[in-house]
Amino acid sequence: MKASFNWLKEFVDFKLSPEELAHALTMSGFEVEGMEEIEGDAILDINVTPNRPDCLSIIGIAREISAILGIPLNIKPVEIREQEGRGPEVEVKDPHLCQRYASRLIHGVKVAPSPEWLSKRLESHGVKAICNVVDVTNYVLMEMGQPLHAFDLDNLAGGKIIVKTAGTEKSFRTLDNEDRNLKEDMLLIWDAEKPVALAGIMGGLNTEVSSETVNVLLESAYFNPASIRPTAKGVNLTTESSYRFARGVDINNIAKALDRAVQLIAEIAGGRISQLTDIYPEPYVPLQVPVIFKKINSLLGIQIEETVVQNILSSLDLSIKREGDVLLVTPPSFRQDIQRDIDIIEEIARLYGYDKIPVTLPNIKMRPAPVNKRQDLIRAIKNSMSRSGLTEVINYSFFNPDTLDKLNVPFDDKRRNLILVKNPLKKEEAAMRTTLLPSLLNNVRLNLNRGEKALRFFEVSKVFLPSEDKLPYEAIQLAAIYNKDMSASLYGDKHDGFYDLKGAIENLLRDLIITNYRFEQDSTSVEPYMHPGKSCSVTVGGEPIGSIGTIHPRILELFDITGNLNMFEIYNVEKLLEHISFKKTFISLPKFPYVERDVAIIVSKDISAEQAQAEILNIDSDIIESVSLFDIYTGKPIPENKKSLAFSIRYRMVDKTLTDEEVDSLHSVIVERLKNTLNAEMRS
Amino acid sequence: MLNDILSIKNLAREEIEKAESLKEIQDLKVKYLGKKGILTGKIKSLGSIPQEDRREYGRILNEAKIYIEDLLGKYEETFNTAELNKILQTQRIDVTVPGCYIPIGRLHPTTQVLDEIIKIFTSLGFNVEEGPEIELDFYNFEALNMPKNHPARDMQDTFYISDDVVLRTHTSSVQVRVMQNNVPPLRVIAPGKVYRCDADVTHIPMFHQLEGFMVDKNITMSDLKGVLEVFIHMVFGVDTKLRFRPSFFPFTEPSAEIDISCVICKGAGCNVCKNTGWLEILGAGMINPRVFEMAGYDPEEYTGFAFGMGIERVAMLKYGIDDIRLFYENDKRFLEQF
Repeated sequence: MKASFNWLKEFVDFKLSPEELAHALTMSGFEVEGMEEIEGDAILDINVTPNRPDCLSIIGIAREISAILGIPLNIKPVEIREQEGRGPEVEVKDPHLCQRYASRLIHGVKVAPSPEWLSKRLESHGVKAICNVVDVTNYVLMEMGQPLHAFDLDNLAGGKIIVKTAGTEKSFRTLDNEDRNLKEDMLLIWDAEKPVALAGIMGGLNTEVSSETVNVLLESAYFNPASIRPTAKGVNLTTESSYRFARGVDINNIAKALDRAVQLIAEIAGGRISQLTDIYPEPYVPLQVPVIFKKINSLLGIQIEETVVQNILSSLDLSIKREGDVLLVTPPSFRQDIQRDIDIIEEIARLYGYDKIPVTLPNIKMRPAPVNKRQDLIRAIKNSMSRSGLTEVINYSFFNPDTLDKLNVPFDDKRRNLILVKNPLKKEEAAMRTTLLPSLLNNVRLNLNRGEKALRFFEVSKVFLPSEDKLPYEAIQLAAIYNKDMSASLYGDKHDGFYDLKGAIENLLRDLIITNYRFEQDSTSVEPYMHPGKSCSVTVGGEPIGSIGTIHPRILELFDITGNLNMFEIYNVEKLLEHISFKKTFISLPKFPYVERDVAIIVSKDISAEQAQAEILNIDSDIIESVSLFDIYTGKPIPENKKSLAFSIRYRMVDKTLTDEEVDSLHSVIVERLKNTLNAEMRS
Repeated sequence: MLNDILSIKNLAREEIEKAESLKEIQDLKVKYLGKKGILTGKIKSLGSIPQEDRREYGRILNEAKIYIEDLLGKYEETFNTAELNKILQTQRIDVTVPGCYIPIGRLHPTTQVLDEIIKIFTSLGFNVEEGPEIELDFYNFEALNMPKNHPARDMQDTFYISDDVVLRTHTSSVQVRVMQNNVPPLRVIAPGKVYRCDADVTHIPMFHQLEGFMVDKNITMSDLKGVLEVFIHMVFGVDTKLRFRPSFFPFTEPSAEIDISCVICKGAGCNVCKNTGWLEILGAGMINPRVFEMAGYDPEEYTGFAFGMGIERVAMLKYGIDDIRLFYENDKRFLEQF
């Protein structure tokens, strides 16, 4: 809220500079977010929190300053002379939506531009000056926080006011010349025939005060916040009035504000004032809030004297009665935020000063910290990925659902079961992610466009899938993408990027001490967006947990990417928890040396390295310690459709040193087996 | 006779000392000590020396042999080393060529800052809890004293999935979930993603928060000040000053905004702190009794505090990042700076 320094001074005689005032307000809960110097005045921009609608006015802020500084508040009493007859005829049909409706008539006003002091003051607070009558209502709104509305009496059918809901009325044109769609339960102000205002929000074009206006009906009311807020939202219109009514105005200020406005209109625009009509069937009953005195100190951790408490509360217009250990506190009508003891304790803390509250550390019992396996797993994954040279990205949890088409994801795929956002700001925010891949592809494209080539990224984030419960299922997914820069490799790293990522997965599984994993290749691609010959699924304990592969060239085209991209996904990392062996067991180191023999075979291209290795390992012997592939070769002189595989085999016995004869005899068994089962030729 | 040996010895020394290569040394070895060498010849002729002189003559001859052998050995070693050095010199490499390193992967700055903050609070005995990112309106708003149509809801622009399911707007949504499933004392932090649908170009629709709260009998507002001071000192250094200002959050009362002395200008005034010398860093307060009631706790029995902070904000201040949008654009050149 904007507040003029000079205007505030009219109500509290403080001696602070604008900067000092801003600091004092900020430190008592009214953050001054900005200040603007205008012609010998300073306009403060004050952040008034939603619990303090009473401070949405100059007098409200002045009252607060008076409490903070301990300086009295000066408000001159309003004096009006009633000159002409009865007040307007008013009927309130929905008293629970309009708890008070006060009004007066002013006959014979001269509508004209406002005097300079008035229009300038409005403009310095960001309000456009219109004409004297309307300007006065805005002035009083700012000064006292009470929204008012002036109707052109001669356009009010029957010269009367009825307060009732819209009912079957469908549309209403507000004075900004917009047609507003109405709902049945929206509160309107009517004359004898038609709606004339959207209650508490904006008046109607049909009864607007204009240069022709001579007779005015001035309204000052209390509308129920619970009705104003949904109505303002429903017609998508927030005004200075609706903002205050939605937060709650001071019901005991209604008539005062009306009189202040009437007084000013009579002064500036002339006219004769009628008597008051004040429909206020259930007058405000003050609340009495009990506060146990010692709770103040025990909650805040201070030792405050009762007299200090009394001074603070009375400076805020809260009256106190002591009954034993309990203070009975009555807040004024403008402090509807004060409902229970904690609200009063907060006021005490606020004016006592948070800086005076000591700094202590809580006394609390020791206890073992619970283990959070999920968190530990996520941390282990992130660390493992970064050790494998992948950099973490974090993307928004939303995505554009169209990307699933681009990825060629079939229509019955469960990733198509999208959780949609009802009010997205853009298409990219329309659905919650069911896969991390599109985001990673976007990351690669952005970086390629900016000239970065070697890109290795991973992300660990939630994806969202529908579930039987009210809330969707949130699975933690891991995905990585790798664009290998084949052009520049000082150290001759020319192998397919697939193997870099496969290595990263293997590193991760080894890190987690998971051993029962496999990379299983089918004749088709594991995912519709992967290269059919360069992709496979990753299984743990026979169950597919993810996929790895080269991204299909068609998909890259659709994503506008030129590169050599490999990626992997682990669909739900929590599945890994079932396979991690948290127990580490030591195995004694061997005491006898190993003997190593190499075998190089030429086999058909269809035979996988894993198959050949398994043939060796399956031989019934306990002296084969390990078999590792150290060379793959295709090309001359190996015949086409064949490849050469070279394995290094380690033999070892636990209880003695092997002799050459023992090794040789087993090695020749292996050679025979490979010849027989794989139709292998030995390479010399 | 003896002079003969001495002159052989001297000659040998002179020749050895004059030698300029390993080859010359090897030739001299043959010349003096080889099968047909000068000294070898003398040793072979030892039999012709009269009996009484033979012993002494033999001793001197042997001495001369050892002397020449040693000297040859010394020179051989010297020439060997020199030859090796010559070879090694030809193997010289360019050490300024970049090393063949394993690429370093980095963790996102948000993860790094979050990990640091989590470490601090776990060291203080807090444990980490999580809640769903897609949350019931109840836990995100109602249980936190923000019933439908409460004006405080305007403070947070909310993404809706349905009328009563939202993308959580803050990690405070974890509070009542944890309270419902546990009994005090509670010391909990809840880190995670939160969402706001702010159309402003400088805002981002998703960011990270960390909520912390503590519930027990006799927790005071001074305890809140103490815990947050320890935390701020651990993140920004013990010289950092804290300022607690009254504020409003529906789920805490009294509520506070916590400012720290500007980490850039140390309070002197700069662009980052808009010349105020202070930076807003945390929101906090004593847990509102209504929240306890929603969780089924007796507000007369328990008190507690809660606080929340934006992780990107902390990271921006720690690293001097000036645009929050950089965080989730994922430009490699940004990510590799941390």
